[in-house]
Amino acid sequence: MSAERREPTASGSGKATEPREANGHREIVAGRGRKIRWTLGLLRPYRTRIFFMVLAVLVSTGAALAPPYLAGRAIDAGIQTGDISALNLSIALFVIAVIVNAVTSWLQTWLVGWVGIRVLQDLREQVFKHIQRMSIGFFNRNRPGALISRMTNDIEALNQLISDGIVTLFANLLTLFGVVAIMLLLDWRLALVTFAVLPLLLVTSLVFRKYSAGAFRETRERIALITAHLQETLSGVRVVRSFGQEDRHIDHMTELNEANRQANMATVYLNASYFPATELLTAVGTSAILLFGGWQAIEGNIMIGVVVSFVGYLQLFFDPIQQLSQLYATYQQGMAALDKIFTLLDTEAEIVDGPEAIDPPRLEGRITFDDLSFTYEDPEVEAESGEPVRPAPAEPRWAVRDIDFEIAPGETVALVGSTGAGKSTLAKLITRFHDPQEGRIMIDGRPLPDYRQRPLRSQMGIVPQEGFLFSGSIAENIAFGRPDASLEEIAAAADAVGASPFIERLSDGLETEVGERGVQLSSGQRQLVAFARVILAEPRILILDEATSAVDTRTEKVIERALDEVLKGRTAVVIAHRLSTIRRADRIIVLERGHIAETGSHDELIESGGLYAGLYSSWTDSSAG
Amino acid sequence: MPTFRRLLGFLRPHRRLLWGSMVFAWMAMGMTVLIPWLVGQAVNAVQDSDQTQLFWMVGAILVAAVLRLVLTVIRRIVAGRVSLAVEFDLRQEVYAHLMSLELGFFDRNQTGQLMSRATVDLQSIRFFLGYGLIFFSQSILTVLLAGVVMFVINPWLALIALAPAPLIVITALRYTRQSRPAMQEVAQRVAELTAQAEESVAGIRVVKAFAREDHQFERFQGAVDRLFDQSIRSTRIQAFFTPLIGALPQIGTALVLLVGGHEVLNGSLDLGQFTAFYTYMLMLAGPLRTVGMALGMGQRAIAAGNRLFEVLDREPRLTSRPDAIPLPEGGGAVSFDSVSLRYGPEAPEALLDIDLDVPAGSRLALVGPSGSGKTSLAALIARLYDPTEGEVSIDGTDLRDLEIPSLRHGIAYVSDDSFLFSDTIANNISYARADATPGEIERAARLAQASEFIEALPDGYETVVGERGLTLSGGQRQRVAIARALLANPRILILDDATSSLDATTEQQIRAGLAEAMAGRTTFVIGHRLSTISLADECVLMDEGRIIDRGTIAELTDRSSLFRELTGGSGDEPLFVPEDEEVLA
Ligand SMILES: Nc1ncnc2c1ncn2[C@@H]1O[C@H](COP(=O)(O)OP(=O)(O)O)[C@@H](O)[C@H]1O
Ligand SMILES: Nc1ncnc2c1ncn2[C@@H]1O[C@H](COP(=O)(O)OP(=O)(O)O)[C@@H](O)[C@H]1O
Ligand SMILES: [Mg+2]
Ligand SMILES: [Mg+2]
Repeated sequence: MSAERREPTASGSGKATEPREANGHREIVAGRGRKIRWTLGLLRPYRTRIFFMVLAVLVSTGAALAPPYLAGRAIDAGIQTGDISALNLSIALFVIAVIVNAVTSWLQTWLVGWVGIRVLQDLREQVFKHIQRMSIGFFNRNRPGALISRMTNDIEALNQLISDGIVTLFANLLTLFGVVAIMLLLDWRLALVTFAVLPLLLVTSLVFRKYSAGAFRETRERIALITAHLQETLSGVRVVRSFGQEDRHIDHMTELNEANRQANMATVYLNASYFPATELLTAVGTSAILLFGGWQAIEGNIMIGVVVSFVGYLQLFFDPIQQLSQLYATYQQGMAALDKIFTLLDTEAEIVDGPEAIDPPRLEGRITFDDLSFTYEDPEVEAESGEPVRPAPAEPRWAVRDIDFEIAPGETVALVGSTGAGKSTLAKLITRFHDPQEGRIMIDGRPLPDYRQRPLRSQMGIVPQEGFLFSGSIAENIAFGRPDASLEEIAAAADAVGASPFIERLSDGLETEVGERGVQLSSGQRQLVAFARVILAEPRILILDEATSAVDTRTEKVIERALDEVLKGRTAVVIAHRLSTIRRADRIIVLERGHIAETGSHDELIESGGLYAGLYSSWTDSSAG
Repeated sequence: MPTFRRLLGFLRPHRRLLWGSMVFAWMAMGMTVLIPWLVGQAVNAVQDSDQTQLFWMVGAILVAAVLRLVLTVIRRIVAGRVSLAVEFDLRQEVYAHLMSLELGFFDRNQTGQLMSRATVDLQSIRFFLGYGLIFFSQSILTVLLAGVVMFVINPWLALIALAPAPLIVITALRYTRQSRPAMQEVAQRVAELTAQAEESVAGIRVVKAFAREDHQFERFQGAVDRLFDQSIRSTRIQAFFTPLIGALPQIGTALVLLVGGHEVLNGSLDLGQFTAFYTYMLMLAGPLRTVGMALGMGQRAIAAGNRLFEVLDREPRLTSRPDAIPLPEGGGAVSFDSVSLRYGPEAPEALLDIDLDVPAGSRLALVGPSGSGKTSLAALIARLYDPTEGEVSIDGTDLRDLEIPSLRHGIAYVSDDSFLFSDTIANNISYARADATPGEIERAARLAQASEFIEALPDGYETVVGERGLTLSGGQRQRVAIARALLANPRILILDDATSSLDATTEQQIRAGLAEAMAGRTTFVIGHRLSTISLADECVLMDEGRIIDRGTIAELTDRSSLFRELTGGSGDEPLFVPEDEEVLA
């Protein structure tokens, strides 16, 4: 079955061509045709199965219509006329029809289930892939829980539509067409009177859609908020516990839960009125036929028998209509989820590889900052909701401003400065987590956008300030950047950063599970694992953002010795607060409020008596206590 | 089926509404039965060319239809309300229960797994309890009524019609027995997938830094495929049993036609009676299908319920005794009495034989290599974990005799990962004391050297920090976390490596604030830099979970080579004896 799987791409359906509307509703309407095209794209890989699925639905629907008819035949042609063979024949056919129906229903349920589930999973994968493609700025603006909700709750909400929807749609449309044909043949005037309720039904449905679209969307947003709150409370559970604030979180959850209930209650009201309203319309239709047909019959314009059998067909006509209107409600609900998913898929990554971008060759490691300025407050960037984050300020708060310097291949540069000076920001810019608004960064003489992001990053190694370990063993975490590494290599990397002593003490050594985000390790141990991870990846450019801030000085000494070896022939940018680390750098760059205040070697900077010299004296003071 | 009964228990508070909605449902059903009868009467009127009768009947149809509309609307609203109330209650209960579980539980369970229970799993329970149950009762009622009528009309034919009933029951039982574990596994795999998604999103910065998107995607795809396989397995069961449950009653119909038909032909049965009987049999088909569907919903709900109760039944392992008292008055003296701690039965000892007395109001530094147990020791003071052996007490009372909230409100703990919530800075700082005034918040921020950068932010204290506070720089985050602890006005303050991301200048500045905040409180300082440690009067040196030495900085520098190595005191950095007592005063 895997041969049949191919992944359709959302971009293939021309997502850039449709202009985005500020008004959500209009956007949805405008996008509907596109959405259908896109959905068909999702279905295309499975067309063989879908063909058989439709076949099974048709046959089983047909076979389901036969038994009542055959039973009627048994009574009319068999029992009433006393024809035993006709009776027996009808019963035999009846049994056959039941068996055919059972077998085709089995096929139908299985095929519909298969295609539906598969398509949902494809959609899930597509959403995941898209989220991963987004730039870091996107993740700063959107809470993880809300994104997770797209991949879980919203997809589950589509489940019902897909699993029940297809069969309901086919079976009822089929019945409806048959009944309409019969009714038209029987008496077209009466038929037209009956069909007169259809416009009413249409109006009801449109009204329903108008009011429900917002209500259903609201439920998607509410459950996303709950998911986000859960995610956050659970990942911050240590803080919750240590401050004893459980009640506060429960209160907050109560609020969100209540809001979720309200939002869903709104849809209950809408659903509760829509479906019974269609039921009422059927009764109105029946009454109209009785009045009109009765009057005509009494006048003698129509045979009474026709009216009587016509009334018999009315239920057959209205039944599928009601089923379809029920389906319409489910459809609206599913569409709200799909809209949310679409909005996400429509959010384009801020940083995309251009068509000209190349795979970098083995990097030399020359990094050039060319009049670079960057601010996190990009007014053009929109949050997922589609609203601008804030009006553009006259002069943005630059996180780094006018950065202009070059790091030679193989050089080790230390970035120094007070917290918030922009050190981490520079590190993130080198790895192209963000693009600068002004100026550029070049690597080996080519601007970053000339390279494809991932191949470029795979030659860089960054230990971010906020370390993150994945649940799994220590070995798996160390090998994250190079999964093909042998156990010896992993152990060597651990050894190089002085992590071996603690790993050996653990019950399962390298195979010890670290728990989610590495909670089962101490913070220093986590940093060591993150450090070993980057060492094993053997990057051409190494960026250490306070990589050892939680590590004790003794271990850090071990690391420093190892680094001498590791840094040989590699460019390194090191951010640290410890003097001994900074001193080893070839060059020190002192940042102050986003500007480069001074650069030079340790001795030069001390000599010049500037900012660094001041920092140094507070160091020596502080390290003395 | 204890799970089923427990799930029903969640309906108990709403049983009035539930019964109400059932009564409305039955009444609406009555209307649905009445309308065809009225139509029949109207047709008779047409046949009799009785115009007034026709008008009356049409009027009656419309009245009945309007009544049905009203009844159905009410029924649906009430049912919707009940199902949402059940979802609400269940979610509250799960969440509150999670809030009562000890930290160790969360060390071992993935966030995504737990999230899935409080979202996706709840949906299936809500659908069943809110709708499935009503459909089920409605259908069973129809089946019973029709069955009784059939018996009254002709007991012998009724028995024949019921011949497949045992088969249906056996099939239905089989269906439930096979599908429940399959559906439970589906729910489990949804949870695994959620966990996978959660981790990938939360760890996106590392994924990107290592250009490992493909790898993460493959893992996610693995989770998706496992879910797909299991869903197909569950669908296969459903595809086999549901048509079977639908077809078996038809066998009864065939038998009735055969036997009844021949009897009519023999003359032993009246045709009119037979037709009436047959009409009632036809009425059974729909409800029986609904029963099959409701069974499926029920199985899903029970599967989800099992998973929910798995969490709800997990007793909190860290509770206070029933006779626990609030934290008594005192200065915050802490003592450890032969304390050992293991995080799991197999895990090595994180703390071993700790004996430590910390007088009220004193300042103690914990120094030791990474993993030596400093954080673990601090966590014991806030009773985030219980010691495996020995006892920890504050002001002479064993922690296990104290009410947990009261204990924790007396302690402020700045953890080494300075986690912030995605909320405004003001709300983060006032986290421990929601009633804090803006003035108090600003004062705490000033003490933590955070006010300057906060005021420079576009929205000042109202700036919302992103997930985990990641839109702040590391040092800014740490200072907000410190401010949060200072505002709590605790008896005991624990600073666990709280200044590791601060540069020397900022750290110097913060010392004054900290010194002011520490006055009169028992303080534990964990750190690696001498500058941090020197905030304390005394140091405890730890290694491999034990306390190996205790003394002032000068003493330890003098006599312990480990201490010198750890603090860099023996290295290339100049060292002097602390002389800043006036700062600490
Ligand atoms: N993701 C972000 N969104 C908005 N502002 C940010 C973000 N990350 C950092 N900043 C701001 O940019 C400035 C520089 O931060 P950073 O580079 O992290 O400092 P540091 O030198 O301590 O590493 C700080 O004022 C910080 O608040
Ligand atoms: N939540 C946990 N679950 C299991 N093991 C843990 C947990 N927290 C810490 N440990 C282990 O206990 C030991 C001590 O850790 P910790 O107290 O955090 O050290 P540190 O002195 O660096 O603060 C470490 O070996 C660590 O692996
Ligand atoms: Mg930083
Ligand atoms: Mg620690």
